[in-house]
Amino acid sequence: MSATPASGTRPARRTHFEARLNYYSAQNVPLLLSLGILLGLILIYFLLFAVRQHRLPGNFELSTTLNNTMTVGLTAIGQALVVFTGGIDLSVGGIVDVTNSLAAVLMRNNPGSMLGVSLLVILVGAGAGLINGLFVTYGRLQPIIVTIATLTIWQGVALLILPQPGGAIPPPVTAILAGNIAPLAGLPSSVVILVLLLLLWQALRRTGFVVTLYAIGNDERAAHANGAPVNLARIGAYTLGGAFSGAAGLYLAAVATSGDATTGSQLTLTSIAAVVLGGISLFGGRGSVVGALAGACILTLLLNVLFFAGVNPQLQEFFQGLFLILAVVISTLIRRLLQSGRQVGGGSL
Amino acid sequence: MSTKTTSDAGASRGLAAWRQLPRSQQGMILAYVAVLLLFVIGGIYRPGFVRLDNIGQLLLLSSFTGLVAAGQTFVILIGGIDLSVPWVLNAMAVLLTTTSLGQDSRAWWVVPLCLIVGALIGLVNGVGIVFFDIPPVVMTLGMNGVMQGLVLGMTGGFTCPTCNSVAPPSVQGIFVGQFLFGLPNGLLVWIVIAIIVGVVLSLTTLGRRIYALGNNALAAYLAGVNVRAVTLTVYALGGLFAALAGIALTAFGQQATLGMGDPFLFDSIAAVVIGGASILGGRGNYWGTIAGAIFLVVLRAVLQEFNISEAGRSIASGIVILVALLLYGREAREV
Repeated sequence: MSATPASGTRPARRTHFEARLNYYSAQNVPLLLSLGILLGLILIYFLLFAVRQHRLPGNFELSTTLNNTMTVGLTAIGQALVVFTGGIDLSVGGIVDVTNSLAAVLMRNNPGSMLGVSLLVILVGAGAGLINGLFVTYGRLQPIIVTIATLTIWQGVALLILPQPGGAIPPPVTAILAGNIAPLAGLPSSVVILVLLLLLWQALRRTGFVVTLYAIGNDERAAHANGAPVNLARIGAYTLGGAFSGAAGLYLAAVATSGDATTGSQLTLTSIAAVVLGGISLFGGRGSVVGALAGACILTLLLNVLFFAGVNPQLQEFFQGLFLILAVVISTLIRRLLQSGRQVGGGSL
Repeated sequence: MSTKTTSDAGASRGLAAWRQLPRSQQGMILAYVAVLLLFVIGGIYRPGFVRLDNIGQLLLLSSFTGLVAAGQTFVILIGGIDLSVPWVLNAMAVLLTTTSLGQDSRAWWVVPLCLIVGALIGLVNGVGIVFFDIPPVVMTLGMNGVMQGLVLGMTGGFTCPTCNSVAPPSVQGIFVGQFLFGLPNGLLVWIVIAIIVGVVLSLTTLGRRIYALGNNALAAYLAGVNVRAVTLTVYALGGLFAALAGIALTAFGQQATLGMGDPFLFDSIAAVVIGGASILGGRGNYWGTIAGAIFLVVLRAVLQEFNISEAGRSIASGIVILVALLLYGREAREV
């Protein structure tokens, strides 16, 4: 961040600030749009909740909503890292299946096992991501088809680990990851995790690693020519993405208090939907992890809103799909509006 | 001695000719060789595996993947992808049974209706992609959700009174009845479709435009190809073939079920890729896809002969795709 010159007079500083604000908003239209959608949905949710329940949503609603969001949110972060490079990871669901089953099968009710298995599960996720990254980078293969192949492999592996839904997650793990924190006035621990994730992103987003990810997404050749460690960063993105999927698998198991080798499948699609709703460009090089988390919240809140609006739950997928398409259409239209204001013409196919 | 040198020369000539083949054709040939190999392995393990009726059944099963993959081939050739096939297929299967009510008297208008609605859904995909710049992955993903929600919502989770209707007997006859040598009719349908798709791709201007678009959209545009019209057509074909596969699958299983389309997302894309097509578009053809579809079905059948569980078969299918990709799906080294 550039330091504002202290010697500047007040009006000059204001224009500097305005210029920065203008620049920021122009650069972050999709993110601001998605935060706007999120805010709108929160308002509608509060309104519908108040009308139906004659009170405002409290700690319990916050806790369940965020617990439902967290699994999608973690996978969306992993997906976002890969999407920054212009890639896509369809194996997210498979990695979640494997780690979810693994956690449920292995974890015992003692501190060593709980900590060890949690770390192991995240490492397994990272390993699965590493395999994707190696195939994409050194195999010179298209991410979409590599990860579709690894998706079926991991789905098969998960079924071998846990053929029937079952296993058990010790209560302390559920309490720590998806419970409430008594010393902090019963604050849901998912809030703390969310804040920690946002802080982690703030710490990471200016590092060489993340900047290289954006560079790959914008112009891989130029990034390479400028000496950026393109291969290493891309493999890092898939590996870290896999680790986040592993964490999502662990979290899913903690919330459900048991394992299921097939629940992860839908997370492939919802993680992509969350990334897109978060204003991250699937062509790479644009977006923020904040957007991915916002997108995950939008998806969960949308379901809550539909529920309180009395919509047939069997139509959920219909509205989620429609909402996804509409959000992208609106974002496209707004971008065109802004572009036509700034430049004339611009050849389009 | 001399025969050895000539055979060596012949081998090296063959190798040179092989190297000169485009990567997609190498892939296609390898896929057919792999299919033959699978039949040989299956036949050695259990001779009944290569009896004509068993081969006919396996090919009939392949035809469902092959039909979905026909649409997927068109879409992938222009560099797109269609993730909406599972529930477009499922929705059209449900539409077939619930509007025909198993009556032959309704079949003559219900079957075209399903095909047209399928094509229209595909067209909507195309409209979103062409006119609103929505990435194909997002558009077709959203459409898949929309169709899934519509099917679940409108059938009330398959509790509707007409949900258990069967496909009209005449439609069943078209796909399941038998013609020459006890081979199922569905194969004949697939052969006809294959010839049509092959002709469209290699002998018509539409086919040339599809390849042009897949190789370089900008160059195709500058050369006068109506990029929007071609893209719309291709996605409409994707929906049409998903609908056709839905009808065929319903005729085969008599009834529509929820989730019947789910395996076809992976299989249709995998068949296209195993058949040697480039996922980036512009390279590949339907003959390769046919080999890919047969390969996937026969592979699972062989694995089943060896008593390998569903989980193992799933792992094997994934590994096969990775191997196929490493053999002929690699991009040229850049920079």
